This record gives sequence, structure tokens and C-alpha cells, in this order.
Amino acid sequence: MSLTQLAEAVDITLANLSILKTGKARAIRFSTLEAVCAVLECQPGELLSFEPDE
Amino acid sequence: MKHGDRLVGTSRVIVAAARVANRVFLGGVVLGFALSLVFAGPLGTWVGQTEPGGDVVTGVMGVRLLLLVGVAMGVATDRLLSALRAVVETARSGDPFVAVNARRLQTIGWCLLVQQLLDAPVWLAARLFPALKTETPGLDVSAGGWLAVLMVFVLSRVFAAGTVMRDELAGTV
Repeated sequence: MSLTQLAEAVDITLANLSILKTGKARAIRFSTLEAVCAVLECQPGELLSFEPDE
Repeated sequence: MKHGDRLVGTSRVIVAAARVANRVFLGGVVLGFALSLVFAGPLGTWVGQTEPGGDVVTGVMGVRLLLLVGVAMGVATDRLLSALRAVVETARSGDPFVAVNARRLQTIGWCLLVQQLLDAPVWLAARLFPALKTETPGLDVSAGGWLAVLMVFVLSRVFAAGTVMRDELAGTV
């Protein structure tokens, strides 16, 4: 699935999806997270990871 | 044209006109103060005619004090209107919720406070220079004016918090 197709399926702009993908987003709405998980058929934990500061 | 646009457009014109009027007033008061120094004699004669038997020297000092209050009032009003003009311009451009507007609101609050406090020297002039008692306004404590000062300071804090929240939301997907 391309980024464009994912953006259309999740109903967010390609620019916002790109912000998410590059980790530049400050926060993500639960509704966005839910939509991404629904489209990709995955759990939030598969999308998010915690990396402690060095 | 939307109602909000008309309001902003009208405010812009009113603020611009008020700035010009205030600068004319300020120029007049500064000129008046300078003339009160240059033509101290004729001023003393005028004060003497205004209050026959009154103390001319203190009356002249009172006139000068009132002119200095006028200068301070004019400067404060100019700063206020300049800040208000800048706020209106950001509203006109469609992006008023910026941090700098919170600081401008704070400036407006300080200017309003100065205007309120300038009532005191006017009242003092009336008390200290009886020769001017028919020319000076009384101490008119305006509850609305003090509430306006308080309201603008509170609004500036609300505005500052709002702009921070907006910045945070800007990065939310």
C-alpha cells in the first residue's frame, strides 16, 4: 500500500501522514491511531515504540 | 463581506483615525508646554484673569503640570493605539492567535493603567494649585476604567495560554 493510498484510507492528508512517518508529529489523536490500525489491521503497539533519551 | 471582516475593517479605520487625532493632540500639548515656558508672562496674566486674587505663580505651575500630564496621556495613548493597530492587522491577515499579540495586549493593559493613574496628578493639581480650581477636572474614579485594565491583563494571559495550546495542536495529527 502506498502512502497516498494509506492517507486516503485513513482520511488524513498526505502531508500529515508524512509528518507521522518521519516522527515529526508532536502528538497523535486516538481517532487517527484507530483509523491507521483499522486500515493496516494492526495494534497501536506495532506502530509506536519508546526510545529513552541518551 | 462577512460580519467579522467588516468589524475588523471598521476597527482598523477607527484606530487609524484615533492615532492621527491623538498625535495632533500630543503635538498640541507639547507645543503648549513649550509655549508655557517661552511665554510665562502672558500665561501668568491669563491665569490671573481666570482666578482673580489667586496665586499666579502656583497657577502657572499647575498649568504646566497639567500639560505634562497631557503629554504622558498622549504618549500612553499612542503606545496603546499602536499595539491595538498591530493586533487588528493580525486579525485582518487571518492569524491573530500569535504570541506577540499576548504581549501587545499586555502593553495595552499597562497603557490603560497609566491612563487610570494619571487621574491622580490631575486631582493633585486641583488640590495644590487652587488658582486652577475652575480649570481642572475633579478626581473621577472610573470603576469601568479599572475593570478594563484588569480585564485586558487577564485576557493577555488567556491569549498567551491559548497561543501555546494552538502551537501544541499544530503538531498534532
